[in-house]
Amino acid sequence: MSKSPLCRPHEHRLSRRRLLGVGAAASGLGSLLSPVVAEELRGNDRQVLCIWLDGGMSQLESWDPKPNTQFGGPFRAIPTSVPGIHVSELLPKTAQQMHHLAVLRSVCTQDNSHSAGVARINRGDPKDRGVVYPYLGSAVAKLMGPTQSGLPPYVWVKPGSGGFKTDDAGFLGPAYGALALGDAKPPANLLPHSSLTSEDYQLRQELRTRFNERFGQRRLNDEVAADTSVYEIAQALMRRMDLFDESQISAKDTERYGTHELGRHLLMGRRLIEAGVRFVKVNSYHWDSHGDHFNSSDCLHRQFDQPFAALIEDLADRSLLDNVLVIVLSEFGRTPRINSHCGRDHWPEAWSVAMAGCGLQKGAVVGATNALGTFVDGQEHDIGHLFHTWFQALGIPQDHMEYMNHGQPLPVAHDDCSAIAELLS
Amino acid sequence: MGRRGSLLFRLQLLWLLLLFAPRCGAEGVPLHQRLDEIIARKVSAGAQTAIADDAEFFRRVWLDLAGRIPSAETTRAFLADAAADKRTRAIDDLLVAPTYAKHMQQAFHVMLMERRGDNEYWQKFLQAAFTENKPWDSMVQAMLEPQPSQDDHQGASFFLTRRLEKYGQNPVDHPGLTRDIGRLFLGVDLQCAQCHDHLFVADYKQLDFQGLLAVTQTLKPGKADPGPLVSEKPMTAKLEFVSVFDPTPHATGPRIPWGKEFEIPQDLPKDNTYSPLALVASDLPSADNPRFSRNIANRIWHLMLGRGLVEPLDSHHADNPPTHPELLELLAAEIVEHQFDLKWLFREIALSDTYQRSSRWPDADVQNVEQQQYNVAIPRRLSAEQTLDSFVQAIAGSTPESAQAEILSRLNPLFVAALASPAREHEDHRHPSVQSALFFANDGDLLASMERQQGNLIDRLMTIKDDVSLADELYLAIVSRLPSDQERTELISFLAEQTDQREARLLHWMWAMLASTEFHVNH
Repeated sequence: MSKSPLCRPHEHRLSRRRLLGVGAAASGLGSLLSPVVAEELRGNDRQVLCIWLDGGMSQLESWDPKPNTQFGGPFRAIPTSVPGIHVSELLPKTAQQMHHLAVLRSVCTQDNSHSAGVARINRGDPKDRGVVYPYLGSAVAKLMGPTQSGLPPYVWVKPGSGGFKTDDAGFLGPAYGALALGDAKPPANLLPHSSLTSEDYQLRQELRTRFNERFGQRRLNDEVAADTSVYEIAQALMRRMDLFDESQISAKDTERYGTHELGRHLLMGRRLIEAGVRFVKVNSYHWDSHGDHFNSSDCLHRQFDQPFAALIEDLADRSLLDNVLVIVLSEFGRTPRINSHCGRDHWPEAWSVAMAGCGLQKGAVVGATNALGTFVDGQEHDIGHLFHTWFQALGIPQDHMEYMNHGQPLPVAHDDCSAIAELLS
Repeated sequence: MGRRGSLLFRLQLLWLLLLFAPRCGAEGVPLHQRLDEIIARKVSAGAQTAIADDAEFFRRVWLDLAGRIPSAETTRAFLADAAADKRTRAIDDLLVAPTYAKHMQQAFHVMLMERRGDNEYWQKFLQAAFTENKPWDSMVQAMLEPQPSQDDHQGASFFLTRRLEKYGQNPVDHPGLTRDIGRLFLGVDLQCAQCHDHLFVADYKQLDFQGLLAVTQTLKPGKADPGPLVSEKPMTAKLEFVSVFDPTPHATGPRIPWGKEFEIPQDLPKDNTYSPLALVASDLPSADNPRFSRNIANRIWHLMLGRGLVEPLDSHHADNPPTHPELLELLAAEIVEHQFDLKWLFREIALSDTYQRSSRWPDADVQNVEQQQYNVAIPRRLSAEQTLDSFVQAIAGSTPESAQAEILSRLNPLFVAALASPAREHEDHRHPSVQSALFFANDGDLLASMERQQGNLIDRLMTIKDDVSLADELYLAIVSRLPSDQERTELISFLAEQTDQREARLLHWMWAMLASTEFHVNH
């Protein structure tokens, strides 16, 4: 048991022995965590909204500006709602929400290619144990399960196509993949068939449940339980058709979040969180500005700023921020050096990650880069540290938490990293 | 760790030999009896379920050997048959029916290609192979050989060529192909041994992976005419590699895992006859390669019983022993003895009590069930193809073949999209998903196919006036058994509740049965 003063009493309920002892019994769905543990974590109402800015957001035009320095670029730094903390002038609305945020400016990761970096950051770079680790969303879906809402635990709002995306799940298996809402549209077959009334529908489900109960008698009921679970999630989703009804969005929200893609998708993200989805990922693409970086930042960062500030404000107003962890993530930052195409390239050496919400400090900046922004000044933090921090903030006692993969215990985050105490409240 | 592992392995082998030696001489005792004997040894008396009743057995063996449920009529006839040998006859009939080849073609296509796509000539190869019951070693030889040595090997190279194509932005995955040859034909996942000797599995060495990679990395898709063909770049030097843990350089020529290294000739013959792939194709799938025979024995056992003697199926190694080591050795020795005759092995397993056990525990105390001891039949979720074929059999089995074919082709892509695993994932153990639940509940085409049409199930049921006969016909058609008295009574009173809604209410009942766990598993 960790004696860290940062842990809350309820985090100490789970012991390693209990976790390992029953792993083999749950062979039905991938022999992972025991059902007992999963139940306890289900009672936990914490949620995650993770914003993935694909291609790499520039820290210098956002969370860690270095105006009037060699690599600082043309934009100014502006004061925020927290005295002494400055961010780029491209985030004016976010600056007013700074008192809710925690920014880590000492992120130093390893891969400077997209192909390696995207997977590594999303998986938290645990030690290589010859298995494909899950992305953060699948990991949380596995470790915490759906909330009381019964909605799918991992929903991914993304441009382009939707469907059930199983790649993120890694060794956890396809069951822990994401329900992807392509352009925030509903998944296939969500609408009840027009020939059926809701009474018909109800009747069919009652009959199905009755038949399954009978079939499950005197049989190992793994298969019946698996069917019960997926039908319950499907029905929970069908009950929330309103999430996909654009007429229910207020004019005020449309104005505040914006009508552009990221604005609409972040608004959907907020609504999914309000509906009780455990983990929501919202993707935005085209952040890889190797050329004409400053014009594109002027456009992209503002597209981010407006809905992100609205999101934080809304979550705080509704007291949701106490339970919701918000993360802004990319595969790396961008080079301080400005290339001959007025672009910034890939820079994993020194960049920033912004976050807010449950278990985290408010209005805090942790870590620092040197005066030119080229390298971290002081302690460096890798993605492994962040995974530990986030799991701890979510109430997952990660020091004692392991996946069981066919009898092989696998730590949920990098063994050699630990939570960043300064970020935790 | 390595030394201890291999010592253990040898001791285990010795022990197996001692245990097993006298039984080899057990002349005349058929395999199905010997396997029952081995299974029974680990099960304490009384701690097993009874032999399945006729209906449970009949549905199971149809799904395993024909890939779909039997028709109501066929089940009726089987249940009425009083002959003592009717189960043996049912098995033998299924093994000679065209549905056997069709189902095995499908099952092995999914096992070997893992939903990577399809090819007409590959399907023809599989179909011919299972129709003529081609020995497994020849089938694998055909898949690995560089030039089709026989006419009916056209298409077999698809196993290689499909894996030698780029997908998305990924480059050609030679290590992935190397790994798949190990996984699917030898039952070993050597992925970790690509970069170093496996950390946890003492018998998986980097040399084993690299020796096979030396061969696969020379491969590229050849000019397809007409079926897929693979071609080799000439190999002139050994493949060099280092471990990520130890910078000492190593090199290897072509090599079959745990086999000898093949010489690379000093001067390549002018006629290009030196083919490392041909060496692998002739030596890997052979009776002399114990891993090859154990792997197929374990995979056939898994297909029939729902669980491999070694699990996961691609993790055969000394520290992950089979649940029944003796049995695996017996099955492997026997399949070699019978020249890799898969149909013979399917038959022997189907005849065994172990296969024919009920999935239902005699009392409510299900806690004592130990699935890995095979004291109870393990329910296994159907593949997308088994589900579709059974669905169409149930709802349209009595309609003309053209009508069935039309529904099958319309629904096939939908069932595969909703139920199958994504590409490059094995389907050794299947699970339902939110996607499959939404599909069954709401898909327009699926629901429409259940509606009344000339001669289909609901049409047939609507013409039956006697409710008891109706219940019998409905249950036989969908779950391949007669209803219990309670089920009959419930259905009759359900229909009586709103007599003017008879068709609609029957459809609700039908839907619920078709969406039930009982329909979706082979139990």
